[in-house]
Amino acid sequence: MPTPVVPGRRPAARRLSRRSFLAVAGISVAGALAACSGAPTGTKHLRLSSWNIPLDLESYQALADEFVAAHPGTSVAVEVTTGQFHQWFITRLAADLAPDIIRITPQQIGRYAANGSLVDLTGAVPADYQDDWSKPFWAIGAKADGLFGVFQHTDNFITYYDKRVIEQIGVDVPQSLDEAWQWDEFLEIAGEAQKITGRYGFGYGWSGPETAYRWMPVVYQNGGAFLGEDGETPSMDTDAAVGALDFGRRWYADGLVSPANMSKSGGGAVGRDLFTTGQTGLLLDNPEAIAALDEARPDEWGTTYMIRNGGEASDLGGNALAVTRSSKHPELAAELVAFLTSRTNVAEFCRRGNWLPARSSLDAADIGYERHEATMQQFIDQAATIPLSMVRAQSGPYFSSLNSVFADYLDLCFLGELTPAECGAQMTEAMRSVTTR
Amino acid sequence: MSPHGETLTAPEAPTAATPAADVARAASRTGGPAGRRRGRWAPYLFVGPAGLLFLAFSLVPIVIAVALSFQDTATLGDGQWVGADNYRTMLSDPLLRTALLNTLVFTVGTVPTAMAIGLALAVALNRPLPGRGLLRALFFVPMVAAGVVVGVIMSWIFNPDYGVANNALRSVGLEGLPWLTSPRTAMVTLVLVVVWTRIGFCMVIYLGALQSIPSELREAAAIDGASRWQRFRRLTVPMLAPTTSILLILNVVFSLQAFDVIYVMTGGGPGFSTTVLIQYVFRSAFADARMGYAAALGLLLVLILLVFTLLRQRATKKAEELL
Repeated sequence: MPTPVVPGRRPAARRLSRRSFLAVAGISVAGALAACSGAPTGTKHLRLSSWNIPLDLESYQALADEFVAAHPGTSVAVEVTTGQFHQWFITRLAADLAPDIIRITPQQIGRYAANGSLVDLTGAVPADYQDDWSKPFWAIGAKADGLFGVFQHTDNFITYYDKRVIEQIGVDVPQSLDEAWQWDEFLEIAGEAQKITGRYGFGYGWSGPETAYRWMPVVYQNGGAFLGEDGETPSMDTDAAVGALDFGRRWYADGLVSPANMSKSGGGAVGRDLFTTGQTGLLLDNPEAIAALDEARPDEWGTTYMIRNGGEASDLGGNALAVTRSSKHPELAAELVAFLTSRTNVAEFCRRGNWLPARSSLDAADIGYERHEATMQQFIDQAATIPLSMVRAQSGPYFSSLNSVFADYLDLCFLGELTPAECGAQMTEAMRSVTTR
Repeated sequence: MSPHGETLTAPEAPTAATPAADVARAASRTGGPAGRRRGRWAPYLFVGPAGLLFLAFSLVPIVIAVALSFQDTATLGDGQWVGADNYRTMLSDPLLRTALLNTLVFTVGTVPTAMAIGLALAVALNRPLPGRGLLRALFFVPMVAAGVVVGVIMSWIFNPDYGVANNALRSVGLEGLPWLTSPRTAMVTLVLVVVWTRIGFCMVIYLGALQSIPSELREAAAIDGASRWQRFRRLTVPMLAPTTSILLILNVVFSLQAFDVIYVMTGGGPGFSTTVLIQYVFRSAFADARMGYAAALGLLLVLILLVFTLLRQRATKKAEELL
């Protein structure tokens, strides 16, 4: 029977009274809140957060799906770490909403390992794991009071060169680490390259102020150190460190490097842009440059080892996996970290994403890179030159603050606002104000 | 008779035929004891939602920030009370002095320039011109663009090696400039960019104010022999004073809060040449993990804004009294 229509009123079925509206809204809000609260469903749910690199997100999800298949009653969602890392992570930790597992760089991990934001994985990770990591790589997660992360993959700096430029210079390219170009040799070649390109000699692979630490290997190549042996005493005022700053100053004073190619005041990956457009003949950069070069200048470039000056060192790139204190299932999360860092899964992750393995027993052939296997092997060999003291300095509790100081003073030195000696002294003083806080 | 020619009659009194319940309902709706009670609550109900939002997102965070500013804390929440230590540190912090000076330079560089150009554009586009609507829209577009997008694009434009700006200079035989790579030019470049993003906003506000000035006043002044400049100086500018006052406060607030463009374009460098106060707050909080100190710096920023606003209000009041 049709609903009777009262004159002057809309049909009852189409009318929404205030009370009904409030009731519907109340139910909806309650439902939405229940959905957000993660009310117990019997399934143990984990969240893993990674940088927004589509290939890596796919890899993590594929590996996580394997883990879930072997662990009935669990689920894993891969999320993206958004915006500025520290801002993102600190606010989520404060709200107890941080993901269970976080992909974190060696330069970021120290602060959170020290302030209780990460879970100790000792005992959850198989004891024999440590044997397959070099001492520096294991030290990234292993602190005095526990194991707060497992280094999953790395990257570092080697030298890219423009084949045409090197041919014109007529110089032999080093074929092994012990033939790598020394500083003076390199500056000479860069000077020749500058004459050929008509612009600059070489570029350096910074990509913003937060990557200032990528220049730190130069200090170690000269026998210097950012922090002393105790990992806490600032030591950028030593002769070796000041000598390294002087070497860096010459890059800009001699016009070998573009002033736009600087960690803090440069705009992004300028060094890479200049090399891909033929405005430099050499580039010191990590494996991420390969994709850009393959696209812009396929077959026109080659690689050799990182420069040195008595000492050898290269950039410490890559990521560790850590379990956060927000995790409701820390044991399961730790198990997933162990699973993702197994030999097979590290190899698989590196193959898919073109990363370098943190495990020492894996070489380029084991991983089976689709392209540039020889170059990737050079990177893997170069990884052995990353010094333990630099790793300790960069993965220490103060490093995020110290890196800002490093960026500030590198700029001032390279731009000629401070002499290398003044820069070393003032940087050390500024570092001390951080470490004694 | 009503203006419409209808005869007005007194409202009809309730007749005996009207049911008593209806009368009571009508009374309660209009002014009975229950209605009065409801009437007392009505304003609070209207203000309530906005008040709750203000409480949750403004007042509570301000109270927490004040509490944090007296603590030493690495992450949010679990700090140690240190009294006025953070405020004492501010007095001897050389980077804070640099940041304050840069903030002053940046504000003085951006605010009057953006307002002057905005006013000039508003005056120009207040006249009948071909394509006036399009021009107004074009000048306003930068205001709508996200700061990060503006920052990234401007970094490319002002790149000394492959940027459009230097290519344009070179194409007319001039030397390229180290726009963002020299401590001497980086702040000027940032001011240029921020002024460009803000002139559209100033233009639109001034345009609205110009259109509210009665044309008879200008016509009368013209008949009295006032030149175009005299009309602008003696009539238009004083009539725009309230708008100028609001724009000044808004622009100063914008400049003190300018973060994204600077963060993307220079990161506060080269050296410390473009490190402004809001950036230093962010750096202290998230790079240095000094939440307490960052909260104290944030409150300093609020204090500067409050003092400026009060001074401006007092100046406006005095000017009005003189008139």
